[in-house]
Amino acid sequence: MKFLLNPTAEVAARARPPVRVFLAFSMLLVIGLAAQRAASGGFSPAGVRDAYAGEAASAVALWEEVHQLAFLYGFLTLAIGSLLVVSPLPARARSVLIGAMAAATLADLFAPFAILALRGGGVLRLVTGVACPAALLAAAGAAFATFASPQGPGPSKPAPGGNGHVHD
Amino acid sequence: MCTTDRKLEPFRGLIALFAVFLVAVAGSAAVLFVLKLGGGVGRFYAPRTLPGLLDVAVPHLLAIPLSLFTTIHLVGWVGLVRPRPMALLSRAAFACALAGIAGGFAVRYVHPALATVKIAAFVGLESLLLIWLWLLCATVIRTRVDVEERLPAQTAARSA
Repeated sequence: MKFLLNPTAEVAARARPPVRVFLAFSMLLVIGLAAQRAASGGFSPAGVRDAYAGEAASAVALWEEVHQLAFLYGFLTLAIGSLLVVSPLPARARSVLIGAMAAATLADLFAPFAILALRGGGVLRLVTGVACPAALLAAAGAAFATFASPQGPGPSKPAPGGNGHVHD
Repeated sequence: MCTTDRKLEPFRGLIALFAVFLVAVAGSAAVLFVLKLGGGVGRFYAPRTLPGLLDVAVPHLLAIPLSLFTTIHLVGWVGLVRPRPMALLSRAAFACALAGIAGGFAVRYVHPALATVKIAAFVGLESLLLIWLWLLCATVIRTRVDVEERLPAQTAARSA
């Protein structure tokens, strides 16, 4: 955790290997989740509609999915986002990546309720089902490529009132 | 403590997002509790298989302590709560989590009357999660307030 609060070049360089392995596993997890959803028909509007608003749909299954995804997305966004904050990416790129990740995960988590309310609209979950892994993979990939990069400009400098972190 | 607050500032949005997901986790847990078990003691008496109990217990043995650990750690960063109440709240939350997870096995293998303990543990954990969530939100607000108060002072000190 020291590299998050006090990200000097030396501390960040020491943290680089385990951080990159963690990010590689995170990306595998996101790919696995997308594959799992594809295998269960989650990438066709009719399949999505049947899963949440069809005759065989169950409230327990819906809430179990929300329960599991909320836990997963909560930790993925916190971990990947925190690593992005201390990466040497430009502040604007960081904000875009974190914002996209937050919007996509929240939309994917709550999309099933919209499908239920609309009694259809399976295409909505299709969109969030593509946007969510894409945003998570982009954020994790950017953090993987830039975190404590030896060629990079080093940890970002603090910006007044901005997202730059602070050195004492 | 103030330096820590300042260092936490870039993570403020991420902590707020984590709090939103934690609300979804706790809320969906409450809904599932009612949907699956009816919220009544009688629903616990039906015998459950060991694999069925383990299917629920094993993921929760990772997920609940990890969620509590992260939340407590984030709140502790800012030092909003004094050590003693912080320790009491932490112990109570972990105790309720353990009692809730073990409760399913206790009802099945010890005595059905322990269903009341399981329900009490669940209600206790949800209530404590609400308190921790409130503290997490206070952490986010406190960090912002601290930074807003500090920045003009720092600018004035530099120009002096």
